[in-house]
This record gives sequence, structure tokens and C-alpha cells, in this order.
Amino acid sequence: MVSVTEMQTMYEQMVTARYYEERLQEEYLVGKQPAFDISAGPIPGELHLAAGHESSGAGVCIHLRDDDTVTAPHRPHHIAIAKGVDLKKMTAEIFGRETGLCRGKGGHMHLFDPDVNFACSGIIAQGCPPAVGAAMAAKKRNTDSVAVAFLGEGAIDQGGFLESLNLAAVQDLPVVFVIEDNDWAISMPKDRVTDVEDGSRRAWGFDMPGERVDSDDAVAVYEAAEKAIMRARDGNGPSLIEVQVHRRMGHFMGDAEAYRPEADIERAKQRDSIERLADDLRAHGVEDDELDEIRERAHERVDEAIAWAKEQPEPDPSTAYENVFTNPPAQTATDGGANTSDASSDGDEGGDR
Amino acid sequence: MATESRDYTEATETDRELTMSRAMVEAIAWEMRENEEVFYMGEDVADYGGIFSSTTGLLDEFGRDRVMDVPISETAYLGAAVGAAQAGMRPIAELMFVDFFGVAMDQIYNNMAKNTYMSGGSFSVPMVLTTAVGGTYNDAGQHSQTLYGTFAHLPGMKVVVPSTAYDAKGLMHSAIRDDDPVVYMFHKRLMGLGWMPSPPGPKTGVPEEDYTIPFGEADIKRHGSDVTVVTLGLHVHRALDAASQLEDDGIDAEVVDLRTLVPLDTETILDSVRKTGKLLVVDEDYQSFGVTGEIIARAAEGALDDLSAVKRLAIPDVPIPYARSLEDEVNPGTDDIAAAIRELHE
Amino acid sequence: MTDAIDVDSASVWPDDADDVDEGYLANWFVREGSAVDEGETIGEMQVEKVSIDVTAPTNGTVTEILVAEGGEFTRGDVLARIQPSA
Repeated sequence: MVSVTEMQTMYEQMVTARYYEERLQEEYLVGKQPAFDISAGPIPGELHLAAGHESSGAGVCIHLRDDDTVTAPHRPHHIAIAKGVDLKKMTAEIFGRETGLCRGKGGHMHLFDPDVNFACSGIIAQGCPPAVGAAMAAKKRNTDSVAVAFLGEGAIDQGGFLESLNLAAVQDLPVVFVIEDNDWAISMPKDRVTDVEDGSRRAWGFDMPGERVDSDDAVAVYEAAEKAIMRARDGNGPSLIEVQVHRRMGHFMGDAEAYRPEADIERAKQRDSIERLADDLRAHGVEDDELDEIRERAHERVDEAIAWAKEQPEPDPSTAYENVFTNPPAQTATDGGANTSDASSDGDEGGDR
Repeated sequence: MATESRDYTEATETDRELTMSRAMVEAIAWEMRENEEVFYMGEDVADYGGIFSSTTGLLDEFGRDRVMDVPISETAYLGAAVGAAQAGMRPIAELMFVDFFGVAMDQIYNNMAKNTYMSGGSFSVPMVLTTAVGGTYNDAGQHSQTLYGTFAHLPGMKVVVPSTAYDAKGLMHSAIRDDDPVVYMFHKRLMGLGWMPSPPGPKTGVPEEDYTIPFGEADIKRHGSDVTVVTLGLHVHRALDAASQLEDDGIDAEVVDLRTLVPLDTETILDSVRKTGKLLVVDEDYQSFGVTGEIIARAAEGALDDLSAVKRLAIPDVPIPYARSLEDEVNPGTDDIAAAIRELHE
Repeated sequence: MTDAIDVDSASVWPDDADDVDEGYLANWFVREGSAVDEGETIGEMQVEKVSIDVTAPTNGTVTEILVAEGGEFTRGDVLARIQPSA
């Protein structure tokens, strides 16, 4: 049973995640208006924001410890926040700074935080097999750690996901797969790419429990995740959960969503898991003052992280050659000297215009 | 074998110029109108029109049966394209980013590339695999590679890399009509997308009628007598910029655009090297075991006595980093190319 | 000689971008002096990240390009002028 304290924790993580995405959106659009140039501004490249997905990250990760592993997809921020990834270093990474989680080499789709065993990656279903591997390690070492692989509903047609379900099932591994169903794989609605409306039914073919949480209810996510994670921790094998979420900010920043019916966009905006959880908290006697306080604290933390990140140094170009190997060979095939003259010949920050 | 370089705007009968994406789409639409067996499938190619505008407008004209969005299941749909091709159709299957090839490489290099040979020629695989390549927009290591050398290395695939709208259209007509599997690699930065502005070069005059550009014919995009620069894709334009920078200093560089890696137009490279004696190869793929090494090997095999100096610029064997300062460091820029040409000239 | 006809940004403005007034000229497919047909796509503009084709309002010759490629403009600005053919 969820406690009021736990609900407050989830609420704090969810408002942190929402505000984080709103602030990143602002920062991302700097230098990109009115002409949207993906390579301009302080945050270049693709940016996939998770506004509308918060209940999933918070409702699942609240059951996890630092030694539990999480893999997340290309839309990772809400999960990273709920897993306890260092917000400042994560933000610095998104801004491409030397002190970012990955020294500016990964960016927002590729955040790695070994302190809390978090990783995310940019290709569909890519995180599923490594989550199975983390679970394998936990089982072999007789720890009670678990692994959770998050993926979008677009990923449930991918071989890497289906193979992972089977491997996890046949070896009874402590791993939970969490499908975040936001109805859209970029421009492809779920019903046009799979005949199975309820993605959790994918579990049945592997003799694994599967459960769908059909609403934006963080408490319902909490309950489904609790069952699955306890099952994994107790050595009883893997589970699959599908959570209904909503995509409020397009697939990536710059996606005008011309393919998406206006009504669907509106509906996604109206269903707000954060407001719903706030109502639940009020029903449990939590005062508006307390909610305001939580929100202010969350906003302050996000603003601080962003301000800190923007003050961090850009990576020195010479660091591009570091970290290819943990134990670099004495002489690599390329000495890296070929391009050390001024490589930034594209001139201005806008890239190759 | 090389075709002469041309002023594209004059060469065309219309006043019309097109972006590379529009030129590609025009060729695909023409072939789809002419041949019922041609169809296009991929992720976000129908309603979205391709993330990099590779299929804009095709759904409206041809409908969902011939312009198919598919599930995110690259192994299944790329393998299905192989099967449909072997059944006699002419599928075009799009891999959204070339970096995603790993998900489905078995179908690509064990089926698509090998079935003709392993069947002793009893099967053909007349399909086109279109895919977006390249960096320069800070999308990091899983969305910025070109992998030119990887595809060209594995036998059985023809590999096409257009650098202008004119070439893109002619090469697409050739690709669809070809009886072999063709990997058509379009550079995102050259497509003419509003949200990822191109350098000025790739937008060219494009004839409205269909035309083909034969595979294995490099195009000398700039004639010169001092140094040969062999390159492809985005770096054709960087090399042209570098060459015009050097003009004032009296250095006359020749820029050879390979256009296709398989087949490779060795003759044009050798002819140029025999003339200049100096060879620079510029590539946006990893340096070792790749395009630069291959071109230099061919030059050494065919024109060793004429060669007095050789250099190469490529991604220095590191994954593509995210941060702007890091990506700029590893991706050869115009200044890098100019410096290398200058060094060779001295 | 008839007057040149404006290629008016407002006339190709997308219906769902009524709340926006800034646009960006992504591509021209013609130059000054180019002959065009009515309805031909002569350029591409971007409003709210959506690309919209700019079409020629008449048969004729492009006499002036007023918003350069890469340039920003406000709704209602004239993008180019076309001298109708006789």
C-alpha cells in the first residue's frame, strides 16, 4: 500500500521532471527561433522531452535502490530524475559540458550514471538486453538487486525486446520491463503497427506475468511496479508492465506533429498525472501549502541545476580522443593528430550553414 | 570515365533548382508511376514524409499500399524487402538512420548482399536501401555516423552517396532500375531541410524529365592541376570551399566526387593523380580500414610512380562525440582540408 | 505592361498557425529572371517548424526576390514579385 509520504515523494519527482522539461524546452529554443535550426543554440541535436510520462518514472523507480539497474530509452529525463541521477551533471551533459555525466560525449539520449546504475540510449529497444544482463549479474552474484528496462510502445515490435523477454523468462532473471505507451511512435499510431492493443500481452507468449496500467494514475503504477519488482527481488523471475502515458511535447523538439489529430494533442494535455496525484494527496489531507512547497523546492532544484550547467566549461577538443578504451593501447591505429588544426571551420555556432 | 563538371544551372532546361530531398523524391515518384512493382516502406515515411523529407508527398499520390509505414522492426521489414525483391518486385526500404543498421545487419549483409551470389545467380535482389547518414548537428555517436566504408566493404551491395540534387535524382533513377541491391546513402546536412540548413552547394538545377547517372562514374566537381582531393557526400562541398579559399594563393586543387563507392571509379582517381601527383582523401567515416585507405591503396597500385605525396582526413577512429567542440574536432572541416591541401602542395 | 504580382506570404500562411506572425524562408527554387508557371513550387518557407511550399501565383518571370534564403519575415511580407507573361 502506498503511503502518503511515498505519494509526496512521487509528486516531487513528477513536478521536478515536468518543470525540468519545460525549462529545457526554453533553453533548447534559444538560438532556434524563428528559424528552427537543430544544430544551433546552447543545446543542439535532437531533444526528446518526456512531459506527460512522469507517472511511469516516479511510480516504478520509487521501489528501486541505487544498486538496482535502470535502462531508459531516448526519452529518459523523467526516469533519470526518479532514479536519482545527479541532476546537475545530467544537465551539464545535455548542455555538452566537460563536467557533464559523460564529459560531453553522450548528450541527452546517452546519459550514464554509474553511481545509481542508470543508462539510457538512442536506438529502439537497445536498453532491454543490457537490463537482462544486469539481472543476470545480480542472480549469479546472489544479490537481491533487480533491473528495470524502460521502453516506448513503439519498441515492442523490435527483436531486441522480444528476445530479451524470452531470455529473461527462461532464466528466471530479476528484471522488469516497463512499456511507456504514449500512443505514438513518432508519427505512427500504435494501432497501425501492432494488432495487440494491450502491450502487456506480449508477456503471455513467454509465460511471464504482464499487466497494463490503463491510466495516468501514479498510484496505480506504483502498485503494479511494486508487485513486479518484489517478484523479481524475491527470485521469482521477470514481469512486464505497460503504462499509459501521454506525449505532450511532440516526438522531438521541432516535431510539428502535422500528422497528429488536434483532438489527440488536446486530450494528451488534459490528462495530467501530476494534477491527478495532487488531487489524491489533497484527498489524503495534504494541504495546498505543502504541495506548493514541494513544487517550489522542485523548481528551485531544476533552476539551480540549469544555472550550474551553463557555467560549466566546454570540453577541450583534445578530450575527443579520450575514453575510446578503458586501457588505451600504447599506439592506436590513428594518432588523432590528423585533425588537430582548427577543426571548427564551420564558423558560427549554427553549424554548417 | 568521369563526366565533365558542369554548371548545373545552365545545364538544365528549366530555371528550376531543387533541394536534394525534392530531387530524390521526384525520381522515386517517377519510377513509382512507371512501374507498379516499385513501393516504399520504412518508419515514418507515410504521413510524416520521412524524418529527413525523403518521401514528402508520396503518400498523397500513391496511397498506403505503396507508401508503407512499418513497425519499428528493421530485421523484419528490411528482410521482407529482400523477399519481395527476390519475388520480382522493386522495393525501396528506408533505414531511418544508418546507425540503426546493427539492428538488422543480418538481413542486410547475409541476405540482401549475398543471395545473388550464393544462389549462383539464380536470384536477384533488385531493392534499394535508402538511409540517412552523417553528423554536424550534434546528435552523438548513435545518430551521426556515415558508415560508408562498412557497407562498401561487404561484397554484394552497390553503394551510392550523392552530393547534389542533380546527382541525387539521376542516381536514384539508376538505383531503382538496377537489378542489384543498392544502398543509397543520403547525407542529412545536404537534404535542404529547413531545420538543418544545407551549405549552398547541394541545391542545383534539376531537369524535370527522368535521367540516369551510371554507377561507377566519379564526377570532377572542380578541375585543378596541383592537388587531387577525392571525397564524397558533405565533404565534396567542404573540399570545394577549401579549394576556392586556396585559389588566391595560387593553389589549384581538383575535387573528385566519388558519387558511388561500389562500383568505384578507379580510372578517374588515377587520371587525376597522374596529373597532380598529390592525393588528399577526405571522408566523414572512420579513418582506419575504410574509404581513405582504399582510395590510397588504389592510387598506390595504379599510379605509384606518379605519386609524390599522400594525405587523408577522416574521423580519427573515435565514436562521434555529442558536444559541438568535440564533434567539430573529429569531423574534418573546410580549414582542415585547406591546410592539408596546402601541406601537400608545399 | 501589367504590374508585377506579389508573392504574398500571407496567402500561403498555414491555417493552424494563426497565432504566429514570424516565418523563415528555407529555400528558393528559382532565381531572379527564372520563368515560372502558375502553381509551381518556387520556394519553401517555415512557420512554427512546419515547412510550407510557396507557389507561383501566376505564369511569368521572377523579377525580384525580396526575402533572401535564410531570411526571416513577418506574415504579410511580400516574398518575391513575378511579372506576368503576356
